[in-house]
Amino acid sequence: MRASGESVCYVDLTKGKCWREEMPPEAISPYLGGSGFGWALVAKHLLPKVDPFAPENVVTINPGVLVGTRTLGSSKITAITKFPTIASEDEKFYVGSCTGGGRYFGIGLKQAGCDHLVILGQAEKPVTIHVTNAGASIEDASQFWGKGIEETSIELVRRFGDDTGVLAIGTAGENQVRSALAIVDRTNSLGRGGLGAILGSKRVKAIAAHGTGGISVAEPTAFNGLSNELLERAAGWPRREHWIKLGLAAGWSTFKHTQNPGIWRKERWDGLYGEEKRLETLNRVIACASCPLSCRLRWVIPDGEFAGEPGLGSPYSKSATSGQLLNVEDDRKMIHLVTEANSLTGIDYYTTARLIDFVTRMFEQGRLTKSDTSGFELRRDYPTYKELFRMTAAREGFGDVLADGWMRLKKEFGLDPQEYWYAGICKGMDFIYDARPSKFHPLMMTFFTRPRPHHGGTHTRTNSRNKTIEEIREQVEHWGLPKGTVERIFTETPYSGKFNVGRYTRYAEDLMRVKNALGLCTIYTYQALMFADEMARLYNAATGDDLSTGELVLHGERVSNLAKIINVREGFTRADDKPPEVWFRPMDAPEGRLEMRDYYDTKVLTENDVSKILDDYYDERGWNPKTGIPCHEKLLELELHEYAPEQVK
Amino acid sequence: MIKTTTGRLIVWVDRCRGCRSCQLACSFTRLGEFNPSRSCITLDRDLETERTAPMIKPLCCDLCEGEPACVDACKYGVIEFQPASERLIDVRM
Repeated sequence: MRASGESVCYVDLTKGKCWREEMPPEAISPYLGGSGFGWALVAKHLLPKVDPFAPENVVTINPGVLVGTRTLGSSKITAITKFPTIASEDEKFYVGSCTGGGRYFGIGLKQAGCDHLVILGQAEKPVTIHVTNAGASIEDASQFWGKGIEETSIELVRRFGDDTGVLAIGTAGENQVRSALAIVDRTNSLGRGGLGAILGSKRVKAIAAHGTGGISVAEPTAFNGLSNELLERAAGWPRREHWIKLGLAAGWSTFKHTQNPGIWRKERWDGLYGEEKRLETLNRVIACASCPLSCRLRWVIPDGEFAGEPGLGSPYSKSATSGQLLNVEDDRKMIHLVTEANSLTGIDYYTTARLIDFVTRMFEQGRLTKSDTSGFELRRDYPTYKELFRMTAAREGFGDVLADGWMRLKKEFGLDPQEYWYAGICKGMDFIYDARPSKFHPLMMTFFTRPRPHHGGTHTRTNSRNKTIEEIREQVEHWGLPKGTVERIFTETPYSGKFNVGRYTRYAEDLMRVKNALGLCTIYTYQALMFADEMARLYNAATGDDLSTGELVLHGERVSNLAKIINVREGFTRADDKPPEVWFRPMDAPEGRLEMRDYYDTKVLTENDVSKILDDYYDERGWNPKTGIPCHEKLLELELHEYAPEQVK
Repeated sequence: MIKTTTGRLIVWVDRCRGCRSCQLACSFTRLGEFNPSRSCITLDRDLETERTAPMIKPLCCDLCEGEPACVDACKYGVIEFQPASERLIDVRM
């Protein structure tokens, strides 16, 4: 068991009250702490079937257990809420998590002694939440409402000091645009699925956090020794020089294949949005706390219509993929839209760009007309895209439809999201990657097993193309699994190829829950710079616990199951765990026809193949393969039976 | 290594990425806990650009007896240490 408990700061916006509760180690330990315990708080406080925008919805914000220490990539905070994305035709909403990094906000919460921030109720007027050593307080934010993220964040740091971390929403969040994000410390997005809209519904414009408390670890010498070893390993990574020059854009050599919409020839895309082009706008690369790689960017558009405009965040895959989808050759124009999303509106750039791609094509084909769009002509040109971004953030005219997302298009105009041609949609959420150019690997699977753990996905070695089976297996050997389990994962099947994606995904998800709980960036396990057994050693040295790697992953399994049963009580079943239809339609790229194939490119996967892979996933989880719901025995084994929904009892 | 309380810390401010590792290492070495507020290093933060630069408090920093923790902690080469007969903090762009 851990040596110490965690502190929960409550903010009840309806009653205007704030208080702090200390949770003992025995309450925290089964969930590891951080977002693991954040899920337990959601299970306790969130009643089933409440509307996401109702005061009864709950938000928990959880810096990772290791946030505020100096170890490899320990900057992540995870927010958990019922997201407002309409997830099904019968209007179910999923309870999920989102994870992001930063430099000040997570440390600010921890130094203020706030391991969890729980936001309840709804304020009458706009507020900010201020977290300090004294706890949380609610303050008037009338002067910030209607202002952008950048302006709000800068003003709050000026007011409270340079060490202040700020999470802020923009105008899209205020307007409850269902996909709206929050932005942390101006550089990190948090909340794909609509955290910004939920905070907007609660009238929380921003959360500012700073404190002066120290963050101690149970075994300082062991913790520091292992951290130094890991940091040195990352500093010596052969690709590091390239990475710290380009930030996340250093991944272009992989992403130009895996995120390719297949409209332009690859050489053309490379020339318009590739590494060399990126350097023209790159001003500086910024790191999250305790990160020796750094992937956030500051950019300045050098010339053209938006000459001199600076921005912060990560514009690269957003602008590149959307540029190709929307046929905008000028990267500066797409980067401008990212700048507005990150600094002003907080709109979800991926979702909005794809929605715009869809409706402008539908307009071209006559399936939407001016009578549907309040007279607005949805042309396939940049001025229209720019205006639609603005209208969506403002919920103005046809933008109000886009602000409600894919399911409203279906309900109102009969435009089925399953018709969309890139990446796909499941549970009302569009994907960043497409399984046809990417191949069907575990990350693809987590898109439809949602509620998945977050941070851009469940990244493991398999996200990159062409890893050998030995490289993939080497990573799995560190997961602390029984030999028989490893053999099951690496038993070749006719439907999944050399390794079993369904069985692998179960453990990859559980491990991702652990990373979320600890606050570790997934880039390090993705690049084989940190392994699960080292995460167990870090956790033990930090908390005084004594978990084996297998036990650590088992705790991740507990969190995965808790997240699942919270969603079961919302009505989700196997019928919702449905891969998008577009994956089974060929993509006719200029280089040739692309179909969804297994990781090692040996065969085209059919719907029946993916169904069998999903059967294996449920089997490995101990869930009922017919319903996709955890079995009673599994919940007993994980000591989660007190949360068992009616469907399980 | 000979322990020393003199030496030159050279701070290349333009190399700073804002990861705060120097602050965390400094407080951990001196106090046994991670606490940027009690570190001998403050991070100067330009709010327009989010550019950061470590500022070493000369009256607080004792050069960790000749093995400054911040030097090892920073993987971006922002802080360098050179032996010298006096204590100096040399800020360079």
